[in-house]
Amino acid sequence: MMRALLTGNGPSAKLIFPMLPRLITTALCGFAVANALAEPPPATIDLSKFPAAAVEDVVVPVPSEIFIVLDKLGTPNWKGELRDNLGTNTGNRAQIALLLGTVIADGFIAVEAEDSEKVKQIGQEVLVLADGINVRKAVIARSKSITDKAEAKDWRAVRSELDGALQDVRGAMQELGDDELAQLVSLGGWIRGTQVLTSIVGQNYSPAGAELLNQPELLNYFARRIDEMRSKNLKKEELVVKVRKLLRDIKPIIGKETITVENVQKVNKLTTDTVNAITSEDQ
Amino acid sequence: MNRRFLSLSPVRVLAALAVLCLTPLYATVDDALSFAHECAVPYVKQGFTIREDAWGGDLGVKDQKAVTAQLFKGNEYWFCMATDVKGAVINVHIYDSQGRLAESEAWQKGRFAAAKVVPKATGTYYAIVTIEKSPQERTHWALVYGYR
Repeated sequence: MMRALLTGNGPSAKLIFPMLPRLITTALCGFAVANALAEPPPATIDLSKFPAAAVEDVVVPVPSEIFIVLDKLGTPNWKGELRDNLGTNTGNRAQIALLLGTVIADGFIAVEAEDSEKVKQIGQEVLVLADGINVRKAVIARSKSITDKAEAKDWRAVRSELDGALQDVRGAMQELGDDELAQLVSLGGWIRGTQVLTSIVGQNYSPAGAELLNQPELLNYFARRIDEMRSKNLKKEELVVKVRKLLRDIKPIIGKETITVENVQKVNKLTTDTVNAITSEDQ
Repeated sequence: MNRRFLSLSPVRVLAALAVLCLTPLYATVDDALSFAHECAVPYVKQGFTIREDAWGGDLGVKDQKAVTAQLFKGNEYWFCMATDVKGAVINVHIYDSQGRLAESEAWQKGRFAAAKVVPKATGTYYAIVTIEKSPQERTHWALVYGYR
């Protein structure tokens, strides 16, 4: 509409232009009236009445969704959370998928630390690990973009690229029929993110920080994904069994209304052990 | 320009009409997703980071879908929904795990709708998407969210 009004011939443009403010006001009022006329949403709904098929699975949050809250709560030592050794690719596909998830999570930590060299190193490592599970092609562009944006210190853009790398890897794996392996990438990221969250909250405990661990539906979702794995071999993989046990052990700890400092430390110990198992050469 | 249009052969006109008629068949969730990203543009300018992950599908008129999201107290979120179907009216509202309306703002303008939530507690939330009306039997929709 705007374009039609502004591209008319001279005389008509002269005729219409003075009407523009009034037309815009009318249009805005129209939107406002449409909004006001729309039925207000109910104050409460009965979620149990939603058939299972009408409920979409939870989207796994990216680590930075949690990290930026921690930033608001205090001044975490992000550099102290970065690892020198990002882990060893053992050639085991389940391990590579989990490891890739942890490395991408490290990318988010490096962004919080504003450490462009580390971000660049992580961008390269993502490429190497993606190669190990045949999805290198899917992340080449992302890897370059991560490096370029880290160089420019455009941290919000790096966050987006890391999120994008995660989606690209998962998408490429799903295309290859490896969607169960793709879940392990998400799980790896979540485990490393939770390790860092509990480390920071454990060092400077506050109930508000500990509340970030309240993720029951996400835990259920991950547990379901492993329990419903069609590939028996993948389900029996030592690391996958360990991750399933981790989810089982964590659930009662974070299901409580207030998560104590002791419980935060417990979750940190459990996730640290699992991250060590993922990054170890002994798989 | 108008004259050139009038001089088109009937075959060309028929072909153009056929393309126009077939267009809705090729409309996909990807198109709806592009509109959802368009809907989110003002929030990007306000510092929200839009997630690459998205939800989408197709629904009939008055059908609803509950989209589960893990949200964190301390963040602000905008959920942006869109459809590629011209003339459709959609909406999205956010509820907490107890089924209570949790959004602080919401708007709806035809094929676009959005809701903002500033979670009072960390936990599971549900974005309830609805196709209020549509000229089509099934309407593609897509939902993205941003956080800051």
